[in-house]
Amino acid sequence: MKIVIAGAGSVGRYMAKQLSASGHTIVIIDNDPNAVSRVENTDSITSIQGDACEVDILTAAGVSDADVVAAVTGDDEDNLVISLLSKQEFGVPRVVARVNYPNNEWMYNEMWGVDVSVSTPHLLTGLVEEAVTEGSLVRLMAFDHGKSGLAEVTLADGSPAINQTIGSLQLPREATVVAVIRDGHVVTPAPDTVLHAHDEVMVLASGDCDADIRAALIGTK
Amino acid sequence: MALFRRKKADSAPAEPVIGMPMVDVPLRTPVTVCGKVTRMRTRPAHGVPALVVTLRDETGFVTAIWTGRRTIGGIALGRTICLEGVCTKASDGATFMNPAFTLIK
Repeated sequence: MKIVIAGAGSVGRYMAKQLSASGHTIVIIDNDPNAVSRVENTDSITSIQGDACEVDILTAAGVSDADVVAAVTGDDEDNLVISLLSKQEFGVPRVVARVNYPNNEWMYNEMWGVDVSVSTPHLLTGLVEEAVTEGSLVRLMAFDHGKSGLAEVTLADGSPAINQTIGSLQLPREATVVAVIRDGHVVTPAPDTVLHAHDEVMVLASGDCDADIRAALIGTK
Repeated sequence: MALFRRKKADSAPAEPVIGMPMVDVPLRTPVTVCGKVTRMRTRPAHGVPALVVTLRDETGFVTAIWTGRRTIGGIALGRTICLEGVCTKASDGATFMNPAFTLIK
């Protein structure tokens, strides 16, 4: 796949390295000549110095046939402009954008051409919450424009799901258990898997069915 | 690109626009299509309004989405308009996002 990365900071350079190692073709753009000079150009990584908020530079980077554009600069306004241009002017199928300031996250949506937004503060909050809470629903990540997401519940002692099989849980139709983590090991969920206390249950759900998931895994208290 | 074309469209005198048949619209290439407005909807996209317009010609249809607005002066059912922009494939067929447009009649 051809991937254009805007922003050659530590995030952009790391992504370029990882993605090229998995066999993708990368073009990386940055306005700062110093940042560009730190990019190790290889057969599969090309770097371009210029303002990624300009259509000409995006054209030069070959966004018109890119499969993915990742806007990962340290500037939210730049990331949004790059996302909008990629979607509107080039019809890029998948636009990923980095949220630097959580207060700006609400703008990262279809209106600005963003398909997937990644917010480090949000992710960290989710992970910390997940580490300290038992018996509550923690949203780990959202995708598909926030219409679906992955949530996690650590089963507390009083949970109605304990000693139940996954098949017998009263989960809503839009939700499915995708993994159970027990004592640090992943258990592949089958309809006859029995849940234990302190199991971490990963639920993939679309739509607004949090209340039903809570009822099934946490109980109504 | 549409941003620059838009500027040109403002200054240049109107000349006849020839669109391509909608059934042949290629993805991710700047194109012009002309057709009649057959359907208009406003939809709240994440709380932000968007105007969704379906255009038809003899061969097929395309959808145009203008984000951040509920109406656009001159765009109404039955009007013929031309769109200029880049087409992406969405769940509801060929879709233009914020295309430049010309009112024909």
